[in-house]
This record gives sequence, C-alpha cells and structure tokens, in this order.
Amino acid sequence: MKKVININFQGRILPIEEHAYELLKEYIISLQVYFANEEGKDEIINDIECRVAELCDERLKKGAVCINESTINLIIDSIGRPADFEAQDGFEQTNTASTNSSSTHKRLYRDEQNKILGGVCSGVANYFGLDPLLVRILWIFLLGVNVLGYLILWVAVPSSSVKEVGGLRKRLFRDTDNKILGGVCAGISKYFGISVMIVRVLFLIPFIRFIFHFRHIHFFQFWDNIDFPNFIDFTFSPGALFVYIVLWLVLPEAKSSADKLEMVGEKVDLNSIKNTIQNDMEGFGKRAKAWGSEMYNNKKEERREKRNARRNKQSENGRSHIIGRLIVISIKVFVYFIVGIVGLSLLVALFGIGIAATSVLSLKGFILEEGIQSISAIGTILFFIWVPVIAIVTAIIRRLAGYKKSNKWIRASFVSLWILGWFCLFYFISSLGNSFSKHNQPTEQTIQLFNPSINSLSVNMISNSKYYENQSFHLSPFDQYGNEDTLFINNLRIRIVQSKTDSFQVTIAKLSNGKSIQEANEFASKINFNLVQVDSLLYLDRGIAIHKNNKFRNQHIILTIAVPIGKHIKINEQKGNNINLNFATWDEPWDKESYPYEKNKEYKMELKGLVPM
Amino acid sequence: MLKAKIMDVQNTQSQMRKGVLEFCILSIIQKGEVYPSDIVEQMKAANLHILEGTLYPLLTRLKNAGLLNYRWVESLSGPPRKYFVLTEEGNKAYEVLLKTWNDMAGAVQLLTQNK
Repeated sequence: MKKVININFQGRILPIEEHAYELLKEYIISLQVYFANEEGKDEIINDIECRVAELCDERLKKGAVCINESTINLIIDSIGRPADFEAQDGFEQTNTASTNSSSTHKRLYRDEQNKILGGVCSGVANYFGLDPLLVRILWIFLLGVNVLGYLILWVAVPSSSVKEVGGLRKRLFRDTDNKILGGVCAGISKYFGISVMIVRVLFLIPFIRFIFHFRHIHFFQFWDNIDFPNFIDFTFSPGALFVYIVLWLVLPEAKSSADKLEMVGEKVDLNSIKNTIQNDMEGFGKRAKAWGSEMYNNKKEERREKRNARRNKQSENGRSHIIGRLIVISIKVFVYFIVGIVGLSLLVALFGIGIAATSVLSLKGFILEEGIQSISAIGTILFFIWVPVIAIVTAIIRRLAGYKKSNKWIRASFVSLWILGWFCLFYFISSLGNSFSKHNQPTEQTIQLFNPSINSLSVNMISNSKYYENQSFHLSPFDQYGNEDTLFINNLRIRIVQSKTDSFQVTIAKLSNGKSIQEANEFASKINFNLVQVDSLLYLDRGIAIHKNNKFRNQHIILTIAVPIGKHIKINEQKGNNINLNFATWDEPWDKESYPYEKNKEYKMELKGLVPM
Repeated sequence: MLKAKIMDVQNTQSQMRKGVLEFCILSIIQKGEVYPSDIVEQMKAANLHILEGTLYPLLTRLKNAGLLNYRWVESLSGPPRKYFVLTEEGNKAYEVLLKTWNDMAGAVQLLTQNK
C-alpha cells in the first residue's frame, strides 16, 4: 500500500506515489545544483521539468494508474542525471584541475551506497575504478582465502558515510551494436579501451588450438609444477568458452545512451557537489534497489507471519518482542550461512569433477570406441557436468548483480541441456558397460627360463624413474613426454606357488574384457608383455603397453611363479616407481595355491609355504 | 605521467564531441521546426547519443546566443510545447559551420589516410 498524492507539475495534474515524488524532488534539486552557475538556469530546468511532466502524462495516457518509483527512474534515466551530463559533454572544463588534485588523495572506503554485505567489494571497485560486479565475481572465485580478508577489511576500512565516495563510473556492458555473437568482446574492449580484435583473438586462439591439438591442452594443471607454463592454457583454454558464456548471460546489454556512455567510462569529477548528489541518487540506484526489493519479496511472507505473531503477542511487553526478533534474525543468518557453505562446496565439488572429467577426456582414444560412445562421453561431460556449473555460477552472479527476475528462457535452456546430459550419461554408462561385459578365455603360457634350477629368483621392474618421478597424481603421463600413442597400465599381478619339480617355472596368463568373447580374446592376444632373465634376476616390463588403436578393456596379466621347495624368491619394487604391482594378499576365491607375500622381502619356499628370511 | 596523457585525450575527445554536437543540433533544426525529443531521436538514429538533459542546456545557450528561436505550439495532450527554429543569424552560422566542417572533414580524411 502506497500513498498517492496529486501534484500540479508544469501545468499538468499528476497522481504520483509519495516515494516517487521524493525522487523527483531530489532530481530537480540535483539539477538546480548542477546548473547553478549556468546562464539561463531557470529556463533549462523549466524545460526539463516540462519534458518530465510530458513523459509522465504519456505514461498515464497509456493506462498507468499513477506515477511510481520505477516510472520516475525510467524517465530520469532517459533524460539523464547530472553525472551523466558531465560524462557526456564535459563542458565544465574548470573541474578537470580539481579532479587531478583530488584523485591523488584517493583513499579506500567501504561504499555504503552500493553495498550488498559490508560494501567492501564496491569500495575496492571504486578505489581501482572497476565495476563492483567484476570485483564481486573475482571475490566469489577466490572464496575461502578471502572470507577472512573480507571481515578484516570490513572492520578496518572506514565507511563511505565518513566521506562521499566518487570514482570512475565505468561499467561492463555487452556492446550489442558491434556484436558478432553476444557483444561480450566488444563490451570488454570498450571497458578497457583496447581494440575489439585483440579481445576476439584472445578468445579465439584457444579454440583454434583446441581443435588442432586437443590432447596437448592441460586444464588447470596447477598441481603440477613441471607444467608451470601451462597456466597460460588455463587462461586461454576452452575455459574461455566458459568465461564467454557466463559473461554473456551475466552482463547487461548497453541499451540507453547513459549505458553506452558508462560503457566507455568517462572520468567523472570526484569531489564536486554534483557528485555528492549523484552518489545520493545512485546510491539507491538500480542494483541496490533491485536487490532490496528482492529481499523484500523474500521476506514478505515471513513478515506476514511475524505480523500475525505480533498481533497475538500484543499484550506482552515490547522488550521480549525485540529479543524475539533478534533471535529470528540470528537464526536466519545462521541458516543462510550453513546453506551458503553447503551450496558452495557442492559447486566446488561439481567444478572439480568437471575439470577432472575434462582432463580424463584426453584418454578418450584409449578407452572409448569412435562414434556414438565418444560423443555421448563428451555430451555427458559438457551437458551433465558443465551445464549445471555454468547455471549455478550464472545464478549467483545474476543475484549479485541484482536482477530481480530469473530469465525463464535461460532457465529452460539450462534444464533442457541438463536433461540431454542425463540421456548422454545413461547411454554412455550402458554402452561402456557393454564394451566391458565379456571376458576372454585365458590360456596359460609357460615362459622358458634359461637355467630354471637356480637357487633364488629375484623379480624386478625395468626402471623407469626417468619418466615417473614421484608424482602422485598424473592423469596423462603419456602425452607429455612424447609417448602419445601408448598408454601403460599396471594391471599386473604376481602369484607365488609351490613348484612340483625342483626348478623354477614362470607362467603368464593374459586376460581382457570386451564386447564379445571374440573381441576379448583378440584384445588379450594383443597384449605384449616382455620378461628378460639375467641369471637369477627376472626383469619385467613396466606395464602393459596399450597402443592407441588398441583400446583399454581392462587388460591384465597374471604372472605365476612356481618356486621349488628350499629355494628363494624376492619381489622387488623400486622406490619412486609409479607402477604398483598388486602385491597384496592373494585371496581370489579360485586361487587356493598361491601364498601371500610382501614386496622387497626375501622368502624361502618350504613344504608348508613361504617363510620369510 | 601516463595518467596525465589519458586525461588529455579525454579532454580532447570531449572538446571534439562538444563542437560537433552543437553543429549537429543546428543541422537538424535547420531542416525545419523541431521538438527537442525529436532531435534526440534523430541523433540516436545517426548513432550519436545525447541525453535530453544535455540537450536542453545546449538549446538554451544557442538560443541566448541568438542562433535559435522557439515558438509555443498548442498540443492536444496538454500545455503548449516549445518548438525550436533557426533564426536568420542561426542560418548564417550554420552555413559557416557547414563549410568549416566540410573543410575539416576533408583535411582530417586526407591526413589520417596518408599515414
């Protein structure tokens, strides 16, 4: 419920809401201050008033019941605020001198006018002459590190109510006049005052690289010091697509003249009275207002409940009332806090899965069949994982930017893309499961030993420390060191059994999965695994080599060493060797013969089993 | 140092704009009697953005300089509206400015092309 008053404004009777009237009055005062030294001041203001009245009248003729705040704001925007005039024609040249001197005494303040929480972000934005939205986005991305920083700044930095804050009024818009796709590049170029082509090329380079050198691109490999220069790929990787999409969805389009001027960002006088007024006016400007009204809507229902509660409590005294409200507020803060943390960690987790999945994609050629299976894998990563990430990030930023309504088209397309992602996921899982569904029929081959009656046998891996440093997490070891076509997997198990004769005997069984038994047999037969014997030393390959044309179908090798009674056996594992053999206790149900053992330990075979030395 | 240079560029830019704006406004009015918001529309159509709030002071200044005059025209919807028209002096000024502009545009074109 809002109070409407009738005013006689430039010969027109206008029904206007009280708040809107206040806004209008402030606007006129700001004009009077701005044009104070201008010759013909009264006439100018009169003309502008006439125009405002005319525009109001038009609104009413179109069926508006009365003039409300948003109408007044629209009208004022279209005519322009004093700050906009100055940005546009800068005819008060005398101010430039004072601008120079004042900007040297720049100080960091918290911006009370544009705040969401404590005004730290918008204060920082003001200080560096950036769009507050940009600072907030950055802040969100670095969250965790800087919650503490935010609190410290909140406490330590003085509020802008101490002194009026001014600054560069420059905002990031999408420049749809010069757009190719969404106008994001054009807007960025306007904001930073550089050529559009530079921005476009920066966005495009990664795509070109992406297409031609897909497997060379490393995503977010900040865990890997060796790949340090790859952070460039992070900046300009297909992440650029992500950035572009988010910016497209988030940035407002530069529509009005004022927007377009703000986009280029001309310097606005810092210290003049005009700016003070501008701050007063803009302080309740679009964003804050949108934010506020959103909050208002959210709380409307709660308020209604509270009002009912209040009515019941009327007989009680006012103090308990205040305490009750305080409790409600603190509970609310607590709940928001928890929900926020949970939501954020979910988002981060999703983001991490997305990055991991995308990096694993470079292994695609080794696992997936060409065609629909590969496509469904890419579709799963893109639509099932990345789409919700983008959707959530977008939603958060739109909230920060203070958009009142969520765009139903954006939401609908996100939902449909995600549903598509589910389909991809199901298809992918079932198809991949099918590819692994059958086993081969393993056959045991006996490896000829040169002198099987030696006294002891020591099993070693061929050292590969050159290639495998102590890296605990390395998703794509092969494509960084030139071994791009071959992937080594370490599906190797060594069993020790008792020999029935007096000589060592080594047998090897090759196993594989596949879509059909024939396919599984074929994969198994392609396994190429070498053993080299030098006296009492037996050297094994570092893993099962899988060539790119030969898919990974859980190929594995079971190496059985039959040790005669009274002889020694030792399985060595080099330190720093990435390949972990399955030394663990052998407890497959079918295996009753073999004995558990530990690596790097010498054993003697006796009648009852292995005995450590 | 760099900052000072940037300020200079902005200053020059706004000076350029300012001069051209007045000339553009005169050329629109020269075509016939207009209402201020129509000037804004026409300029917007030419991709030159001006706020009404900047237009009114400019008009007043031009009027006080004797280049413009206005007439109250009765309107159906409310009080009479101010329509602007060029004075004799304004027409002369427009001719001078047009010549200057053409000369300058030609010169700038030549100079910037011969880089």
